[in-house]
Amino acid sequence: MPKIASFAELKAFGEQITADRDNEAILMTVCGGPGCQATRCHEVAAELRKELDSTSLNGKARLRVTGCHGFCEQGPIVVIDPSNIFYGQVKPADVKEIVDRTVRKGEVVERLLYVDPSTGKTVLTESEIPFYKAQTPTLLSQNRRVDPWSMEDYLAIGGYAALARVLAEIDPEKVISRIEASGLRGRGGGGFPTAAKWAACRAAHGEEKYVICNADEGDPGAFMDRGVLEGNPHSVLEGMIIGAWAIGANEGYIYVRNEYPMAVEHAKQAINQAREYGFLGEDILGSGMSFDIQVARGGGAFVCGESTALMASLEGKVGEPRPKDVHTVEHGLWNRPTTLNNVETWANVPAIINNGAAWFAGMGTDNSKGTKILALTGEVKNTGLVEVAFGTPIRTVVEEIGGGGRNGRAVKAVQTGGPSGGCLPESMFDLPVDFDVLWEKGSMIGSGGLVVMDENTCMVDIAKYFLKFLQDESCGKCVPCRIGVDRLLEIVTDITEGRGRPEQIELLKELGETVAQTALCGLGKTAPNPVLSTLRYFAEEYEAHINENRCPAGVCTELVEYSIDARTCNGCGACLKACPYAAIQGRKDKLHTIDLELCTKCGICLTTCNDNAVVVQ
Amino acid sequence: MHQNVDLVIDGSKISGRRGETVLDAALRYGICIPHLCHMPTLTDIGACRLCIVDHIKNGRSKVTTSCTLLVQEGMVIDANSERVRGLRRNIAELLVTQAPNSRAIQDIALRCGVTEPRYEFRSDDCVLCGRCVRACKEHYQAHAIGFVGRGQERHVEYPFREKPESCIMCRACVTLCPMSITPCDGPMKSGEGYFCGKCASLTQAPQYEAGDCTRCDLGEGFDCSGHL
Amino acid sequence: MANSLDTILEGRRSQPHQLIEVLQDVQHDHGYLSREAIDTVSESLGVPVMEVYRVANFYTAFTLEPRGKHVITLCKGTACHVRGANPLIEQALGLLDVGEGETTENGLFTLETVNCIGTCALAPVVVLNGVYHPLMTPARLRALINRVRREEEEGTGHA
Ligand SMILES: Cc1cc2nc3c(=O)[nH]c(=O)nc-3n(C[C@H](O)[C@H](O)[C@H](O)COP(=O)(O)O)c2cc1C
Ligand code: SF4
Ligand code: SF4
Ligand code: FES
Ligand code: FES
Repeated sequence: MPKIASFAELKAFGEQITADRDNEAILMTVCGGPGCQATRCHEVAAELRKELDSTSLNGKARLRVTGCHGFCEQGPIVVIDPSNIFYGQVKPADVKEIVDRTVRKGEVVERLLYVDPSTGKTVLTESEIPFYKAQTPTLLSQNRRVDPWSMEDYLAIGGYAALARVLAEIDPEKVISRIEASGLRGRGGGGFPTAAKWAACRAAHGEEKYVICNADEGDPGAFMDRGVLEGNPHSVLEGMIIGAWAIGANEGYIYVRNEYPMAVEHAKQAINQAREYGFLGEDILGSGMSFDIQVARGGGAFVCGESTALMASLEGKVGEPRPKDVHTVEHGLWNRPTTLNNVETWANVPAIINNGAAWFAGMGTDNSKGTKILALTGEVKNTGLVEVAFGTPIRTVVEEIGGGGRNGRAVKAVQTGGPSGGCLPESMFDLPVDFDVLWEKGSMIGSGGLVVMDENTCMVDIAKYFLKFLQDESCGKCVPCRIGVDRLLEIVTDITEGRGRPEQIELLKELGETVAQTALCGLGKTAPNPVLSTLRYFAEEYEAHINENRCPAGVCTELVEYSIDARTCNGCGACLKACPYAAIQGRKDKLHTIDLELCTKCGICLTTCNDNAVVVQ
Repeated sequence: MHQNVDLVIDGSKISGRRGETVLDAALRYGICIPHLCHMPTLTDIGACRLCIVDHIKNGRSKVTTSCTLLVQEGMVIDANSERVRGLRRNIAELLVTQAPNSRAIQDIALRCGVTEPRYEFRSDDCVLCGRCVRACKEHYQAHAIGFVGRGQERHVEYPFREKPESCIMCRACVTLCPMSITPCDGPMKSGEGYFCGKCASLTQAPQYEAGDCTRCDLGEGFDCSGHL
Repeated sequence: MANSLDTILEGRRSQPHQLIEVLQDVQHDHGYLSREAIDTVSESLGVPVMEVYRVANFYTAFTLEPRGKHVITLCKGTACHVRGANPLIEQALGLLDVGEGETTENGLFTLETVNCIGTCALAPVVVLNGVYHPLMTPARLRALINRVRREEEEGTGHA
């Protein structure tokens, strides 16, 4: 393995790789991301490899297995370049036809093409698919160009060039001022200006300093950090090394959540490669800088995404936050100056150095620059990871990229920012994706989760869901969070179970405000957001529960009853078999009925009946 | 030799010692900021949040706990702003309804202005202030008890629920506990939604006014009298 | 073959900050953290038993009791919740007759829930022994559980 000792050597090496690669060759890209793995993409990839090995195509066609492309809904995905043909939901059995027809003869396998649900027409190329078209691809689009296991792939797209330039010709202070000029703000939730953090850490006293990459990604509904770290780990490493140079750090950590074994594996092997090539270790690229990175696994606790808890966890302790009256940039890990940034924040750094601060600042709004990767999920047609420039209206994301509501139902709201964020009604979808605008409206970008909700989602239930999550995940140290969130949950549960009283609305607001103001850490301080934002925008749903004992969405089980519509039921018996509580009776081909004594209102029969005979009232 | 810094708490100019917290400085001057988890000689963890104050800086004020805030030159603190009193009352309300069977906690609640709690009483016998745990660890290095579990499950326990050999039977955990210094076994049963009022000393306890220490019962168990 | 405690601890003795990493490895290789393991780890790393016990109880990655042969993990993240994770949980609870986080009496299944496993685009997701099953429905979950049961009865099961 070549150890690269200087900027010039890196350049020559990169050019060599590009020259070696026959640009004429057909390149088949299979997404190997977590979503596609769940739909068995590795079988498709294995089949493709077999096919390539066994036919005379050797040398004419290459296969690349990459990280997440974003459009997980369509997995397994095969893209064939240079013609950019996109095949979705590919089965291993389709492979032979793809190779025989598309690779050999340049024909298109019509039935595997993507069908645009809004027009019903097939789309030939990846770049024409509406899901991709409205995006501003900068970070995420690199994923499909690199095999995460291949350093050569990363070098071929200009990898580590930013690092080499920085080490050769940009002083640490200048690096920080470029980041400042770019307007980069932290992608982990808080939106804190990255340059300010770096500058404070650089100025802090201490021989030993640390940089940490926060890959804890505990927000339910968010998976962009794993998308970047698993798909393009070197971009994160490069960002961290540049950051370490700017700050004067000599050690780094990537803190990865326990539920992401693939991210751990990819990060570890990328680190090993970077060491072999001389991007990590002693005297990096002949600059005299020494720096190394280790991977630490989390233990499965949402609160460990919080900076002080994360650092406690890295020290091998219980992940309890501590008061931040003393800042972590001065007294962080092992009480030494520490800079913590999110995965996406780090990955943006090389791009800013390569393309210039002005390029980055040219995207976005006044105070939110660049792009943000969002995790688009929930009741929307197209789900997956999408990257848009800040300032893009929510409507564009939900309707153009997401293709609107699923199953013909109307979209009612989006929940942004995970448990710390809030819900925004459809009437506010023209708001831009922007740190400050969403914050003013009682929600936040947070890590970038965007869960779409329709008329079948009860907003009071959503508030309850997040409170339950936070009650589970609170560390329990401080009173407002431990008891306050519990009391909020108690009240909201009362409301969803028909015991609500009108005066409780005010109490929710007052208590929510108290928790937000007085909790020790960010978890507690933002915990009331889901309740407060649903109260603000969906008060009528609360009122329906309280005043009329009615759940408009038919979700809150205490307020609904299940029955089977005699006119629609055809006696197929599917529900009877499905009910785990044996609450359904009926004979074959005869009307079935639900025993309300036994029924727990779990809703399984509802999802089982093909004829929509189960009624919720 | 102490290095001193000047700061203002509730309008009074006081001289703090560099490295001490705002709460300690206030207590030295007899300015009583309600507190529960704070104990002199133990590390402050900022768990009960009763000691919140308004920290006024550049025209903006920020709510923060005084037991974790170090004194700084020129600092301006308002420990009794309307906002802080309201928030503190709400926190005390959460505490007293969770663990009503302690006179210490009732006293704090009354003093913070809780008269008619709006939540149903529960009857926890620990408020997770961590005095016992810290004393065990910091004073005696015994590590015999600790907080186990997280969120609602957090509680004080021995490892594997058995008293370990490292316990030196000092009973510090009992003597420091706000639930056992001043237990109240009578009126506050779960489900009864108000103070019984039988305890004269408590109902007569005046609400705290800025600047005057009331030398409350808490002083004994809670060690601010020691400062006066 | 599972690594012994000694192997796991090698090169990490007297390094308190390795505690979580060590426990992760023990959990992974031995399936749970036994009392003996906790005592040994405490002694070798120089961390009080109390602290090890606290860490073991704080993080969901650790269990103090052996888990079942097959582990079913139901995701209840937001995206899964919105797309019907509750019926799945109900289904599994009813079918296996256990509570969340519990193991069936015959030691065959452990039912766990997780607050998000990060494949939200394909919600709701169920994981059986590390294999992801996307776009789950109660009916498919039933079939999945019954298949494992059948294989166990026929002796063809493998975790
Ligand atoms: C409860 C809680 C959970 C958090 N979880 C994460 C997380 O999973 N990933 C992350 O990057 N930041 C998370 N954060 C934010 C971090 O504390 C920190 O602000 C961030 O990593 C800083 O990086 P940035 O400036 O690049 O955003 C969390 C914060 C809180 C309070
Ligand atoms: S706000 Fe919640 S999570 Fe944060 S320290 Fe307090 S109890 Fe723990
Ligand atoms: S037992 Fe007493 S001293 Fe210990 S944490 Fe609970 S209330 Fe505080
Ligand atoms: S995992 Fe393949 S597109 Fe997301
Ligand atoms: S005394 Fe400050 S938080 Fe308890």
